[in-house]
Amino acid sequence: MTWLTEWAAYLPQMMSGLGVSLLIAGVSIVAGYPLGLVLSVMVSARNLALRTLALAVVEIGRGAPALVILYLFYYGLPKFGIAFESITAACLALIWNSAAYSSEIMRAGIQSVGRGQLEASSALGLAQRHTFWRVIMPQGMRSAIPGLMGVAIQMFQGTSLAYAIAVPELMKSAYNIGSQDFNYLQIFALAGLCYAAISMPATWITVFFEKRMARHA
Amino acid sequence: MTLSEIADGKLAPRTGIKLDNICKRYGDHTVLDDVSLHVEPGTVTALIGPSGAGKSTFLRCINLLERPDSGTIQVAGHTIEPGKVVNNKDLAALRSTVGMVFQSFNLFPHMSAMKNISFPQQKVLGRSREEADARSMELLERVGLKEKANQPPGRCSGGQQQRIAIARALALDPSIMLFDEPTSALDPEVGLEVLAVMRELAADGMTMIVVTHEMQFARDVSDTLVVMADCKIIEQGDPGAIMSDPQEARTRRFLRAVLER
Amino acid sequence: MDALSAVLQGLPMTIVLTLSAFAIGILGAVPLAVGLSSSNILIRLTSRLFVDLVRGVPIIVWLFLLKFGIQIGTFKFNPVAAAIVGLGVVSIAYLAEIYRGGLQAVPRGQGEAAHALGLTRGTTFYGVMVPQAFRIVSPSIATYLTGLLKDSSIASTIIVAEMVFQSQSFARQHPTVEGILPYILVGILYIALSLPVAYLSRRLDSHMRKAVYA
Repeated sequence: MTWLTEWAAYLPQMMSGLGVSLLIAGVSIVAGYPLGLVLSVMVSARNLALRTLALAVVEIGRGAPALVILYLFYYGLPKFGIAFESITAACLALIWNSAAYSSEIMRAGIQSVGRGQLEASSALGLAQRHTFWRVIMPQGMRSAIPGLMGVAIQMFQGTSLAYAIAVPELMKSAYNIGSQDFNYLQIFALAGLCYAAISMPATWITVFFEKRMARHA
Repeated sequence: MTLSEIADGKLAPRTGIKLDNICKRYGDHTVLDDVSLHVEPGTVTALIGPSGAGKSTFLRCINLLERPDSGTIQVAGHTIEPGKVVNNKDLAALRSTVGMVFQSFNLFPHMSAMKNISFPQQKVLGRSREEADARSMELLERVGLKEKANQPPGRCSGGQQQRIAIARALALDPSIMLFDEPTSALDPEVGLEVLAVMRELAADGMTMIVVTHEMQFARDVSDTLVVMADCKIIEQGDPGAIMSDPQEARTRRFLRAVLER
Repeated sequence: MDALSAVLQGLPMTIVLTLSAFAIGILGAVPLAVGLSSSNILIRLTSRLFVDLVRGVPIIVWLFLLKFGIQIGTFKFNPVAAAIVGLGVVSIAYLAEIYRGGLQAVPRGQGEAAHALGLTRGTTFYGVMVPQAFRIVSPSIATYLTGLLKDSSIASTIIVAEMVFQSQSFARQHPTVEGILPYILVGILYIALSLPVAYLSRRLDSHMRKAVYA
């Protein structure tokens, strides 16, 4: 009972932090996915320089920990005189992350479209751009949806790392409250539940989509 | 109106096709070894033979889904040498003259049956949506699937999907139709409804080349039977004559194996 | 190179964190995966709730919860123990889900055939289902391991002296342009470290393919 009353008292103070977390996640998705689509096409470009660049961006974005990219933007680049506010640095780092992960998922989605579709399109004499945008893309993106939803959840959870560069997001507001009252157990449990309250239903929706699509495949 | 009158719209002139000295290799592996075939306008050619003989590859070379290493293709006044660079104009001309039906239908799963047929008309022939849809309806009615117009292919049976695929190819007014084992992925009874549509198309005088294992269909419908084995055409002529009295030992072996099944 | 040797000082700790948590996960996930595939609905739902809850909370929250929130009598977690336990529990949840997916992907006919042959449930599970499931999931497990390697960097936020922590302290001591180096180096190191895992998984995969189908 005491836990619940304490949580009720803490919760309003954490809401602004949750708002910041959702904002960063939203920005990283809205900016990251279109970039990811561009990367997914660039990765199979004929131009070697373009292909190498895209591959490097993707491999670093997926291969290096998000925390490292975050630090690179927030602590690293200022040493070259390029300084960001902490929230901007967090957004940029997560955009890189989400673009890299989403590009791989979209590429796999595009590749999952059967060869027969390409053949039927060329047998019908459809132009390449019609084949790509109207035949391949709609199917590829459809099969990418659950994966992209997964990346969105991953991004939302990833915003918690912005704590490390003092962005006033959910984790940071929890820590601030905790360091006043030393009620760490309650406060971090509550923070965890806030994250879970969004991640868990989102996961269930993703699974629902996956199952539905598997049935109609 | 008959199916091909609907199919070739303004009653486009019937065309034949001449394929000469087609060769195709994958690395060291020869798939087609100097294959030539002349198809008269308005005739049906059945292409049979053991698997691995190169039948499908040959068919796919006709509309350049596979690019032959050498040889020439003459169709509708165009001469195309696929071994050399083929410009887009020639390719478009070839593809608009030649329709193709696949073993696995290859309908676009994210479009309704009608959209599957209308979309290529709009993009390839530049028809308006109304024009294209009207045409799609005509063709769907002819293949007996008017009521499926707004259903996605996933809601149709295999035989229905294949009939939609035939309508899709016909919508582009081809003067030649290629069929790559159109009934192999279907149950025998279901295959019959597809074969019925093909029979009707043949009766209307469409030039057709059909890779098939359906001997009954080949005997009844085709004007010419072509037997392929080991990357070559080993025998061709009147279907009845070849089936009752094959000249080549290889043909005899194949026919015996097929007919015993 | 100063920056490189600074970063490399954290390498052993990164490896210890990753492998310890992985070991906890690999073993701990087995009973949980059985629970997730149980025919008893109460067991199945409890397992499902546990898995989804653990995965629904970011790792950094688990680490702070263990490091700062747990105090039983005089016992408190030291940073390294908190990191290993936290990463381990998260691994249990993720790997259990991977195992379950593998078990489910084994064709239904396999179990039916085994039953038709009169094999016991235990033999069917451990002799028929598990070996096939393991082959199906081994690439996913390898992918998870490389993810865990990267996630171990989060331990730096509770002051565990692994690679990212060492990069931070080097950068702090070098306010000049040189200070960007450790971040770049540590990023490359993570990518380089995940290469052998990918290689091993491919080796293992082809080896097992032979073992199952030969």
